[in-house]
Amino acid sequence: MYLHILKRDLKRKRTMNIILLIFVILAATFIASSANNMITVNSALDDYIEKAGVSDYWFASTNAADVERFREFAGENGYDYTISELIQIEPKNVLVEGKGLEYSNTLVLSTLGGFRIFDNRNEEITEVKDGEIWVTGVLFQSKENDFHEGGRIRISQGGVEKEFTLRGYTKDALFGSTMVGMTRLLISENDAKLFSGESFSVCSAVAVYTEDPEYRDKFNRLALSTVMSIDRSMFKMIYMMDILMAAILLVVSICLILISMVILRFIIHFTVTEEFREIGVMKAIGIRNGAIRGLYIAKYFAIAVVGTVTGLVLSVPFSKMMVGGISGKIILSGRDYFPVNIGAAILAGAAVVLFSWLCTGKIRRFSPIDAIRSGETGERFRKKSLLKLSKTRLAAVPFMALNDIFSSVRSYVSMIIIFILGTLLVIIPVNTINTLRSDDLITTFNMVKSDHIVSQELLFHPNEDNVAKVYGQFDELGEMFADNGIEADIFQEIMFRSNLCKGDKTANSLSFQGWGGVTTEMYHYLEGTPPRNENEVALTYLTAEQIGAEIGDDVEITTGAVSRTYTVTALTQSMNNMGEGVRFYQDAELDFSCAAGSFGIQVNYRDDPDQRELARRKDLIEKLYPRSKIYTPGEYIGYMIGNDVTGSLESMEILILSIILGINALVAVLMVKSFIAREKGEIALLKAIGFGDGSLILIQTLRIGMVLLISVIVGVLLSSPLSSLIITPIFRMMGAYSIEYEIRVMQVYVVFPLCMLAATAFAAYLSARGLRKISSSDIANME
Amino acid sequence: MNTILEVRDLCKTYVINKRQNNVLKNVNFRVDEGEMVAVMGPSGSGKSTLLYSVSGMDGITAGEVTFCGRNLGEIGQKELADLRLNEMGFIFQQMYMLKNLSVLDNIILPACQSDKRKETRRETTERGHALMRRMGIIDIADNDINEVSGGQLQRACICRSMINRPKMIFADEPTGALNRASSDEVMDELAKLNADGTTVMLVTHDVKVAAKCTRILYIVDGNIQGEYKLGQYDGSRLRERERALNGWLMEQGW
Repeated sequence: MYLHILKRDLKRKRTMNIILLIFVILAATFIASSANNMITVNSALDDYIEKAGVSDYWFASTNAADVERFREFAGENGYDYTISELIQIEPKNVLVEGKGLEYSNTLVLSTLGGFRIFDNRNEEITEVKDGEIWVTGVLFQSKENDFHEGGRIRISQGGVEKEFTLRGYTKDALFGSTMVGMTRLLISENDAKLFSGESFSVCSAVAVYTEDPEYRDKFNRLALSTVMSIDRSMFKMIYMMDILMAAILLVVSICLILISMVILRFIIHFTVTEEFREIGVMKAIGIRNGAIRGLYIAKYFAIAVVGTVTGLVLSVPFSKMMVGGISGKIILSGRDYFPVNIGAAILAGAAVVLFSWLCTGKIRRFSPIDAIRSGETGERFRKKSLLKLSKTRLAAVPFMALNDIFSSVRSYVSMIIIFILGTLLVIIPVNTINTLRSDDLITTFNMVKSDHIVSQELLFHPNEDNVAKVYGQFDELGEMFADNGIEADIFQEIMFRSNLCKGDKTANSLSFQGWGGVTTEMYHYLEGTPPRNENEVALTYLTAEQIGAEIGDDVEITTGAVSRTYTVTALTQSMNNMGEGVRFYQDAELDFSCAAGSFGIQVNYRDDPDQRELARRKDLIEKLYPRSKIYTPGEYIGYMIGNDVTGSLESMEILILSIILGINALVAVLMVKSFIAREKGEIALLKAIGFGDGSLILIQTLRIGMVLLISVIVGVLLSSPLSSLIITPIFRMMGAYSIEYEIRVMQVYVVFPLCMLAATAFAAYLSARGLRKISSSDIANME
Repeated sequence: MNTILEVRDLCKTYVINKRQNNVLKNVNFRVDEGEMVAVMGPSGSGKSTLLYSVSGMDGITAGEVTFCGRNLGEIGQKELADLRLNEMGFIFQQMYMLKNLSVLDNIILPACQSDKRKETRRETTERGHALMRRMGIIDIADNDINEVSGGQLQRACICRSMINRPKMIFADEPTGALNRASSDEVMDELAKLNADGTTVMLVTHDVKVAAKCTRILYIVDGNIQGEYKLGQYDGSRLRERERALNGWLMEQGW
């Protein structure tokens, strides 16, 4: 009997069942593949870090004396270590197949040594022959450059010129992500010697291996002058954006399951309400509640099984596609995580079945009398007509649509929940992505807001006059502006690595000083007052927490050879190195020879130009200063956190919007089909009294459109508090404690809602055209 | 008298499971303005099908239906809908109304949808009230449809059918679901409308109802078997009309 009823029901409510099946398939596919992705990425990272022989501590220093100090220190403490050289190369000095390299981060040449590096077949690279070169996967896969195996790469710098043959791309634990802000080209030792003369900026990369639990503290007290350092525990954070994207997909999957459940609830509620007579009759002849519920569950169990199996099959290629991005950066363990897919898909299916069991609970409330009294027991009459056509100026069609919503709000609850969820799923990621691209976010990267940033980052050398190097660039740029009648303030952030100490607590942190036309008053602080003399500093929350410092405390800070006591006057935030940072007063005397690097040169025009003029000047500077790229602050953030990351986020934005548009359209089809089935008699009546097909289709479309409009408004209102609730912790993890979300009103409140409205209304319209098949003579079917 | 409805060689065939069922076979008749025509016949003879076919609610298989000089077979769905909205009124056996609207709103809905008259919503509502007052149901104007009796609801349906001042009202067993008292009230209202000039065509099984009509069409197996003229009902001699009609119906095999 079950099979017979199932067959009949599947046929009768074909569209409804197909849509439910699509959602179960989608939910199973997404949950299975995103769970697989999460586990694959996480465990692969652990394995990869192990396989690559990542050291417990890694640092780079340009100070030869400090490297010597380290050797002595390592010897005394029995630490193992390897030292290799990193030679800085300017991207403009690299030609790929005769064309300039399109890359704006720091580029270094290096030989094998230190961590193990692997090729694209996951084989360890043990030898690099003279004339051969390897590039990292991130660089190899950049669309702007024509990298291919066997390709020609020419490097010319400091009077040395050499052409290399590209062997392929590497999986490089340290330089494999754009988050590092640096990438490396691997060459042979003989070739490296060519580029290691006096005119090259070379720093020592030191990998330290130890089991000493106090090594971090000891290193901090050693106060080495470093340009970059990283702890083993922080290595995973290099790939945090990949983990973040896997997490976002998991959240989307969970939302899809929620949406499937809401749809399921709607369908069960609709079916059960529609079939009150059959249920009443079954009860009248003595069939028990459980058996009746079983009839309904049989159908949803069948849909859940088919959906879960199909979703599981689809999740296999989808999982491969999802891990495809990261497989170019790291070695995937090769372990088969298909059982994860199976487990996740079964969970999704089980959730559907369990939920359908809960939803059929309504059956218990039906009594045999319902079969006789058309579902009304006579005890619960409720005023149905809330709006009055006679008291409104609305035309009949929009009135009917609006009145129907207000008269039976419960019928629309499922749709409203889905549309609100969809709106949130679109708006929250879009707000996050826009915030990541906003000009204002630059202030959380230890910079002040400026009109433009010229990518003229410097890697300093202890033997050079770093101050002259920086101001030489300022002068050059200033002259160029003067020649073109542009008045501008030019300044730059210079980075150091400092060791901080307060009592028995120590920390090693990036520290910053603004050079040129910038003062500490111009930065954004969360608490306290800006440093106003050379004995004052501002600390980020993270750094202050590491050494237990508060505003007003004195801390000892060693930067290069200079060590002195500073008073903390302010607390701030920083997204550099996950939240660490020290801000020095602009005129504080530091050991400039140990400067670790710089951000781009910032330019603020004094005449406050409008957007069009800013764009014109950007083009002009790019022409006049071809060796550098010119960025807006928003673009510079993308450049710092990795354009591949922002690119992925943009793709995700489009993916999520497409999914939501699809979901909304399917839900609209489902709802309209259901409403038409339920209101067949009323539609026939309206046709009989002279309503044309066009008016009736418009009523159906308007109903869906109005519900979507209400949901979008609620979604938009909820998006701000929910963004803070969901996204703020992620930013906090990255070091930003107070974020002003960039809300692009036109995009978020107009364009995207209009897209959703158009897609949903169009789907509703197409679906509503089905009512043309209803004839006015079908009025005989009206109950 | 002008002819308002003319039916020539009307055929209607349903195909069920590849079997043809000829429900109406070459039906011919005409209805003049001001007439009140009852269609009678045994169950399954095609009375309701005839009503729906000649009112444009259902398509026809062959023949020609002309309403107010317009051949219904030659006009599109949109024009047919306009015709039903503005020129025709419908009353059904079950008191079909939209459950989410009050009784008054159900009545004025066709007027709000029609663009024939340029009137304000207040004027439309006043016309709705006037019709309800005339039918004696003004007290239930703001009620929901599940709060009123069947007789009141059927009178509300008559009001709805009248709201756009149609040329002709089609009624499918308008008293079929009512008790005798309510049935009499409803028929009296229809007779009054007819006396005021509205043409009425109705389907009924009830001799008492048919006796208030001016003419009876008797249909058997999809054919008009006979026609009986009773003349205008003026509120008197109803018994005599019933008796005469009963006699004729007996002859027809009723």
